[in-house]
Amino acid sequence: MSIECDNLLSFLSDELEEKEKKAFAEHLIHCPECTREYDQMTEAWNSLKWDFEEFAPPSSLKSEVMNFVFESNPEIPVPVRKVKKWSSFFRKQFTPITSGLLLATLVLVIVLLNSNVQLKKELSAINLPVEVETTLSLQPADKTAVNMNTDGVAYVLQQGEERRLVVQIQNLPTLKESEVYQVWLLNKGERANAGTFKPDEAGTGLLTYKLILNDQFNQIGITKEPDPNGTQPRGKKIVGSS
Amino acid sequence: MRLEEKLDKELMALVKKKYRPALEELYDRYIKLIYGFIFKFTNGNEEKTKEIVQLVFLKLWTTKSSYNPEKGNFVNWLLTVTRNVCVDYVRKDSIHIRNNKQMDLSKPIDIEDPNNDIENGLINSEIAKAKNKLSKPQKRLIDLLYWKGYSLTEIAKIENEPIGTIKSRLHQSLKQLKKYLEVGDL
Repeated sequence: MSIECDNLLSFLSDELEEKEKKAFAEHLIHCPECTREYDQMTEAWNSLKWDFEEFAPPSSLKSEVMNFVFESNPEIPVPVRKVKKWSSFFRKQFTPITSGLLLATLVLVIVLLNSNVQLKKELSAINLPVEVETTLSLQPADKTAVNMNTDGVAYVLQQGEERRLVVQIQNLPTLKESEVYQVWLLNKGERANAGTFKPDEAGTGLLTYKLILNDQFNQIGITKEPDPNGTQPRGKKIVGSS
Repeated sequence: MRLEEKLDKELMALVKKKYRPALEELYDRYIKLIYGFIFKFTNGNEEKTKEIVQLVFLKLWTTKSSYNPEKGNFVNWLLTVTRNVCVDYVRKDSIHIRNNKQMDLSKPIDIEDPNNDIENGLINSEIAKAKNKLSKPQKRLIDLLYWKGYSLTEIAKIENEPIGTIKSRLHQSLKQLKKYLEVGDL
């Protein structure tokens, strides 16, 4: 006898919770004693249902029963229930978490699509020739400085719709560790950042910068900056276009 | 084929497809049986019997668990469904009363078979014969459980005995009943 065996009668009279019911059904498979008892008792239990006499109801009962069934349960309830089921099914799918994840995925898809389009444009532009749109020669800002033979050139290159700024400078003064040269686009007194670079040991520096469509400028300037993080010039101007 | 010639399982298949005349045919075939069963279960209360008959047919009309011919004959299944509806009905109906009145134990619980009065005690079914050989307390326990729909815990309260005692007495009573049924077969 185990504790489970104790549930035999409750199982027979269907008083167990779903979980206990399952547990006992499982137990029944492994307990020969319960199986034997259960078989005997089930036979008696099932025969109990015959312990009554058939009895004719009042003749009015049929219409009452049928009205009750078909009024409380219309004959075509299936589609209605299905619609409800589907809508609640969908609602169940969209918990705050899944909605959030879905939104994040959508954003990611849009970003990726966009960059893909961008990439395709660039690739298709490869077939087009690069043309020099503008050339600016660069001179030292401090022309009085002795031994200042720094000079260079800046080009605006056009390839299809794309515009690129290329800056090349020779004989730049050497920089201290975190220092960089920063290129600025000048337009009506406004300065816009066009990137930073470090020259090689010989003092030759090179920078390319992809121009955005509305990047308009008529001059460029190059400053020496303490670090590459500035949005406005902080250091001394070294070279610039005239 | 006319509905009257169809097998029970064929009628049930039609009921599942929401064919109303099939349910009416089942009613005509089995209402005496169902009515008699429920009439006994409600101790001859006509109003309750009517309500439960309605619920039984509603269940047949809406049930998802369909009748499986491999698991026994249709009438057995039908009576099992009927008893389940009866038990649900008395449990729902009486939760309030049973809880609030703490079960009025002073009143004796009438478990006489109403039909026995009508039939003047004439007993004609195997089970009734076998049951009649049981002792009165044994019969009473079985009736409380099967025909009154009381739970084992409730019976223990009514009888003022530990539930373990009730279980083992019912266990013995059912085994005894089975023996009498076998003897009756001879």
